[in-house]
Amino acid sequence: MSTALAGSRWIRADLRARKGQAVLTVLAVAGIVAALITAATLLEDGTNPWRSLSAQSDGAHVWFYTGDSPEVALGGIDGVTQIAGPYRSAPVTVAQDGKREPAALRAMPAEPARVAHPLVAEGNWLDAAQPDGVVVERSFASSLRLGVGAPFTIIALSGERHTLYVRGVADTAEHGFYPEWTPGLAYVLPEMLDRIEPMMGRSEWVTGLRLADPDAAQVVSQRVVVMLEDQLQRVYTWREVRGAMELDNRLLGTLLALFGVVGLVAAALALANAAGGRVLGQLRDLATLKSMGFTRGQITLLLVVEHGALGLLGVALGALAGWGVMAAVLGPTSVAPVPVLAIVAGTALVVLAAVGLPAWRGGRTPPIPAAPASPPRGHLSRLARLALLVRLPPALVLGTRDAFTRRVPAFLTAFGLAVPMMMITIGLGVWATLDNFLSHPEQVGQHAGLYVRPGKLEAAEARRIAERDKDVAAVYPGTDVNALAPGEARSVRVRAVGSSTQPYPFPVVEGRRYARQGEAVAGQGLLDLLGIRIGDRVRLTVGGSPLIVRIVGRTVEPDQDGVVLSVGLDSLAAKDSVPPEYYALALRPGADRAEVRGRLLAESAEGLDVQAAVNPADRLSIIRVVIVALIAVLALIGLANLLTASALGLRDHAFDLAVLKAMGLTPRQVMATLVTGTGLLVVLGVGAGAAAGASVVTGLIDLQGHTSGVGAGIGRPPSPLTLAVAVVIAVGTALAVALIPARRAARAQVPVTAR
Amino acid sequence: MSAVLKTVNLVKIYQDGAIPVPAVRGVDLQVEPGEFVAIMGPSGSGKSTLVHMLGGLDARTSGEIWLDGKRVDTLSESAWALLRRKKVGFVFQFFNLVANMTVGDNVELPALLAGVSPKVARERRESLLGALDLTDRADAAPAQLSGGEQQRVALARALANQPSLLLADEPTGNLDSRNTRDVLRLLGKVHKEGQSIVMVTHDARVAALADRVVSLFDGEVVDDGRIARRRRGTAGEVIDLR
Repeated sequence: MSTALAGSRWIRADLRARKGQAVLTVLAVAGIVAALITAATLLEDGTNPWRSLSAQSDGAHVWFYTGDSPEVALGGIDGVTQIAGPYRSAPVTVAQDGKREPAALRAMPAEPARVAHPLVAEGNWLDAAQPDGVVVERSFASSLRLGVGAPFTIIALSGERHTLYVRGVADTAEHGFYPEWTPGLAYVLPEMLDRIEPMMGRSEWVTGLRLADPDAAQVVSQRVVVMLEDQLQRVYTWREVRGAMELDNRLLGTLLALFGVVGLVAAALALANAAGGRVLGQLRDLATLKSMGFTRGQITLLLVVEHGALGLLGVALGALAGWGVMAAVLGPTSVAPVPVLAIVAGTALVVLAAVGLPAWRGGRTPPIPAAPASPPRGHLSRLARLALLVRLPPALVLGTRDAFTRRVPAFLTAFGLAVPMMMITIGLGVWATLDNFLSHPEQVGQHAGLYVRPGKLEAAEARRIAERDKDVAAVYPGTDVNALAPGEARSVRVRAVGSSTQPYPFPVVEGRRYARQGEAVAGQGLLDLLGIRIGDRVRLTVGGSPLIVRIVGRTVEPDQDGVVLSVGLDSLAAKDSVPPEYYALALRPGADRAEVRGRLLAESAEGLDVQAAVNPADRLSIIRVVIVALIAVLALIGLANLLTASALGLRDHAFDLAVLKAMGLTPRQVMATLVTGTGLLVVLGVGAGAAAGASVVTGLIDLQGHTSGVGAGIGRPPSPLTLAVAVVIAVGTALAVALIPARRAARAQVPVTAR
Repeated sequence: MSAVLKTVNLVKIYQDGAIPVPAVRGVDLQVEPGEFVAIMGPSGSGKSTLVHMLGGLDARTSGEIWLDGKRVDTLSESAWALLRRKKVGFVFQFFNLVANMTVGDNVELPALLAGVSPKVARERRESLLGALDLTDRADAAPAQLSGGEQQRVALARALANQPSLLLADEPTGNLDSRNTRDVLRLLGKVHKEGQSIVMVTHDARVAALADRVVSLFDGEVVDDGRIARRRRGTAGEVIDLR
């Protein structure tokens, strides 16, 4: 007890003497733990809204679309407990604030359904007393900035406009979020839908099946495919909905996890380095404590408690911050306690292990305080010799020599700076990749900047108007259809655009573009889903007619998790391809999309429906915020390492400085000596880290691209200029930080007594 | 009364690579309660090694050490540490105050370590600092003190637990003459109060303060003589004679 009291006095005094470093340690560890917890929460299923939405809405597990109301005994399929619908659904366009968004208008009765009932989040459900009411799916409503009571203008396929009023905003578990999942979804009463779209032929029927066992979705959807054959247009299961809802969270989570895990290693290194450096600097005090009666174990414990407490405080703060941020952003129930506890326990163990070794070494200090704790002397490193050989200034040579007098701390310092620098380079690479998406959209499959749907006009007329515009370089007719793949529980997107004579310039990263009928290119997601490779033949069913194509290349495919097959329009059957659904317009370099869009609308007297392509980088912009935050944490870790190195260098060489001054070095030269000693390690560490980061970043991003279905080939290293600026900033900051204690040392009186 | 300290054929051999370097070669020494022994010798005669071994800071190669009638040379490092808390006080040439802690905390630390209640530790600190005329420096950092003041604090710290034996390794080696005089006066004072002291020095004038001077040369005791006239005077008078 009394020993604890004595120990706590010492710890308090020591922490008071190095407040700055202590705060840095705490912040760095806290940042890493917060990143890890955020990552775990984002990666964990708990944040995926699908689960709770499905449970609350008694959601269906298999959804399929048919041309007519399905007239087969779906209830007879094994495992199906309840059926939602069939509901009639008609495609419309929503005109809001000058934008036109595709939407599906779903007819649902005023009385809530027993299964797969949308969950009203704001306002009310449909009411027979208000036939012009509409309930809009939440993500669609927020994308259109629609609130309860707002007018909702729709344009039917006939071109007729109708104005409805938003009665409510609802969540559903059958639909991913808009705009990743299109079209947007809105519910109206059946009578209203009949008025808006009297033509039955233009609408489809949506049926949901609720299963006793969600894992049976695959089997059930196969049965549906077989039973409905030609009637079936597309089918998907809850897994696709869940996947669509988690897409962005997963990417962010993966990024955070990568940074968090490597950052943890860096933080552990920094902690070990700081503790080790501090112990080295305190050997005399430790020996004195021992001579006063502290045992070896007590000294070790003292050091573990002191340095460990800083780390553990960081862990606690980080856990609180991570938890707080996640609870604030995603709701208090989103944070699963088990992974958080695991992270807290794991990082606490890492912290204790990191400080354990230096503490153990400190405990083994011989109890004779006079024992010299100076670095090994008389050793001239090869680098120092080289520096002498090329007649560098003496301060530089001596500093170079100082840098390597303690091999292990020198290595730890360089390595401790290299790891954060590597991660910063990777972060910059992610940034560059996003920039590349924006500056070269054609490399991520967005050769076309605008998509024109004929709308009220004839397809040929629409094409003529588009081709006439001076900024349109090429017009590719296209149609998106859904195809059923053999043995799969879901539909895949077939994008037919361009033709074998005028192929759409897909960004093919493996193989080649399609060049004739019956050839196709595919995204990584599709290749993975069907388990096929380039060169394989694949047979799909589009609206009852077979589509047999040979895969000749792999494209970068940011849409639909990469589950997209791209063919020429002439590879589709005429019934699906004529007239084309839209025209993809490739613009001339430098053309302004909004300007072209305005011209096309004016030219067609608002008859055309013109949409700009959505760049995948736009919805990933949150990543940039994360990168900035992570770079800040990594910089803290680097700074902590630097302070340790600087303090240790000063301590090791303060005695030599007296001699150097006596030999006639000016204060400026003394300062230069000290700065060189630290600076050399900094340059080595930062250089190695930047090189390592630059060499792995492309591969890492491509790996992530591969697993997410987009496919390899998107990764870009940071530009040489960015990298050079980052390195210069890192080294410059490091030198500035090293300069402060060096200046003080150079000006201070030379110590005359032993340390 | 039994001896406070007794060594039997104490040997210390350092291993420098493959070559054994003997530092202490068979020292037999006995210190009676209340005795003040000065150990003298030229540089490298093994006097510091000897005093470090007596306090358990360094392990002996062979021989016996008895402290307060108990054999202690066989103790482990930790057991030595526990023993030092109560029975041995150390004063070093370079003061060795814990740099981060205030003067007051430096003095209080050994008392706390020995299991004294914080209240008693505080009282002891007050009385020791008062006796050494350092009360107003209690909250200062050691670096703000002069060498003499630092050594006085070190002495207060060594005496905090009223040890059976005070070991001093060149306590004045790093001080000017005035500070030397102050420190020696204090040593004389605590000796008069009955404190057993073993002090290493290479300064004959400092050694003259002791009851007995043991001369070491190449690790062996070459002379062990009592200073007779020491009985008549006080520490202060001895110094004044210079």
